[in-house]
Amino acid sequence: MSLYHAIKISLAGLKTNKMRSALTILGIVIGVTAIIMVVSLGQGAKDLILGQIQGIGARTIGIIPGRQPKGPTDVLATLTASLKERDLVALGRKENVPHAADIMPIVFGSETAYYEGETYRPTIFGGTELMADIYDAYPERGRNITADDVRGSADVVVLGQTVVDKLSPDHDLFGERIKIKGRNFLVIGILPKKGGASFINFDEMALMPYTTAQNYIFGIKHFNRIAMRADSEANVSSTVEDVKTTLRELHGITDPDKDDFGVETQADALKTVGTILNTLTVFLAMVAAISLVVGGVGIMNIMLVSVTDRTREIGLRKALGATNKNILTQFLLEAIILTGVGGIVGILLGAGLSFAISLVISNVFGLAWNFTFPIGAAFLGIIISTIVGLIFGLYPARKAAAKSPIEALRYE
Amino acid sequence: MSLMEVRNLEMTYSDEDVATPVLRGLTFKITKGEFVTIMGPSGSGKSTLLHILGLLERQSGGEYFFEDKQTGEYSEDEVARLRNKKLGFVFQSFNLLPRTTVLENVKLPLLYSGIKEEMWNSMARKAIDAVGLSHRLDFEPSQLSGGEKQRVAIARALVNNPEVIFADEPTGNLDSKSGEIVMEIIQKLHNEMGHTVILITHESYTAEYAERIIRLRDGLVESDTKVLNRRTGKLFQK
Ligand SMILES: Nc1ncnc2c1ncn2[C@@H]1O[C@H](COP(=O)(O)OP(=O)(O)OP(=O)(O)O)[C@@H](O)[C@H]1O
Ligand SMILES: [Mg+2]
Repeated sequence: MSLYHAIKISLAGLKTNKMRSALTILGIVIGVTAIIMVVSLGQGAKDLILGQIQGIGARTIGIIPGRQPKGPTDVLATLTASLKERDLVALGRKENVPHAADIMPIVFGSETAYYEGETYRPTIFGGTELMADIYDAYPERGRNITADDVRGSADVVVLGQTVVDKLSPDHDLFGERIKIKGRNFLVIGILPKKGGASFINFDEMALMPYTTAQNYIFGIKHFNRIAMRADSEANVSSTVEDVKTTLRELHGITDPDKDDFGVETQADALKTVGTILNTLTVFLAMVAAISLVVGGVGIMNIMLVSVTDRTREIGLRKALGATNKNILTQFLLEAIILTGVGGIVGILLGAGLSFAISLVISNVFGLAWNFTFPIGAAFLGIIISTIVGLIFGLYPARKAAAKSPIEALRYE
Repeated sequence: MSLMEVRNLEMTYSDEDVATPVLRGLTFKITKGEFVTIMGPSGSGKSTLLHILGLLERQSGGEYFFEDKQTGEYSEDEVARLRNKKLGFVFQSFNLLPRTTVLENVKLPLLYSGIKEEMWNSMARKAIDAVGLSHRLDFEPSQLSGGEKQRVAIARALVNNPEVIFADEPTGNLDSKSGEIVMEIIQKLHNEMGHTVILITHESYTAEYAERIIRLRDGLVESDTKVLNRRTGKLFQK
């Protein structure tokens, strides 16, 4: 008997039991729907988060002091004072790092701030006039730190919203003086509220010239980080190499394994976050895939009932000349068709729901959320559900094929 | 040459510790083209014998030759092919597929026959025509009377033009009028189309159509006689 006829027989069998067939595939439909939704929404979330990180600037390079850990167990890596003024000068030279557009030293740490009896411990973030541009941290009121402030170690701060709220819940801090480490700082600007969505949370920060932070707050001569921007995205990797060469020469390092500094790029950060999100998506999709197995058990269950219910039909077919293989094929195909159809319905349903959710997220919450149809997951969903049908259909089908025609015909 | 021959045929059903002897040594021959009725009290083993002769079940002892070949030598697949091509069955309880039209029900044996699909419709229509149900092609079993259902079952047994038609109390679930129509058709299959017919019945009026009556009692042949005054079925000729 040709496969075409075998499929026809199975379809006829399924058609005479429409309601049961529909209920049978429910488990598979739900499983595949879940997989499609997890993968589609996971992709949407990844695009959204990566998009936000990218907003900070794909040209940005971070230089960190100290030997960098080689792995999670490398605890000997320590923060050191290896980045100093002379490094800044060397990195700022065009002949050393030709594609560096901007360079900014950063000093940070926590220190208590006082204002009229209130206290709060913000993160002190010391930088230069480039800070606003590099981190998109423009004050909503007042002004940014200037180059003159930096040169003169001026006692000025730009505050984040949380700092303002904690130090002065009821009246305006703008233009007032707050006290940090016994010095009075003039509040020259206040940052807009950004909330937690952004990569760096400026709400809890007090921005000031790095010179001020070094001299009057932390009493140090080194930097905690140097931020640099390449003149274009294409030049990021060559700039990273130039930075490494310059610093190794300056620090007298010949073996790259002994570097007393590290260089991070936006690309690295994107890769890390991307990996985390991918892992999460795969994990959730696997959880959803387990539900397919549950769906498969449901199919087996109902197929077994169906085989018992149709004992007379099986006996009759055998009496009319069906071989064991004919019967096995019929029931196996029924299971595979059921799961296959369940897979397709699940894909359509999953894609539809993901699309609806993406519309809600982008329209109601105003986020830049894009719907993506996960072709790979759809493909996998069909394949897995068909395999589930094959595996869980095999036992009932064998049971059907093993029935003796007369026992089946005598069955009441 | 005999079509079917049994020698010392035995059938014992063994359930764990109970052994039920049903057939206890039957010997007879059936030649091609015969019309044989098997009679006997309930539980005497008539259906069991028919199932063995129809290759639906294998005997537990003795020998059964179909077309002079020992049936024990046939493989499962060969037996399936014989059932499909040479043996046709009509059961007391019709056994039609529910929610499936008359035409599709009659086509069922053709699905397993290896005959080209183009032929199926004309073969099925011919068989349905032979039982006089051409006007019911698209009816489903639930829309048919008992007599009509049994005629569909006969058409199905007939569609592959088998050598033998086995009928196990085909009129048992029918009133006498429908029963006679069914018997007329079975007789026609024998008289006009030359099929060998093996029929089980309780009712003596049905037995009168046969040429030969084998009576069973307690798993043995009680008598095996030729019928002299055969009914010819003039009453219900078309
Ligand atoms: N699978 C089986 N296991 C045990 N005993 C069985 C089995 N099948 C049939 N029998 C027994 O075999 C005996 C004969 O059964 P069979 O159906 O051949 O009788 P029958 O002559 O056709 O009777 P009836 O006229 O009532 O149809 C019965 O006593 C029945 O209980
Ligand atoms: Mg019987």
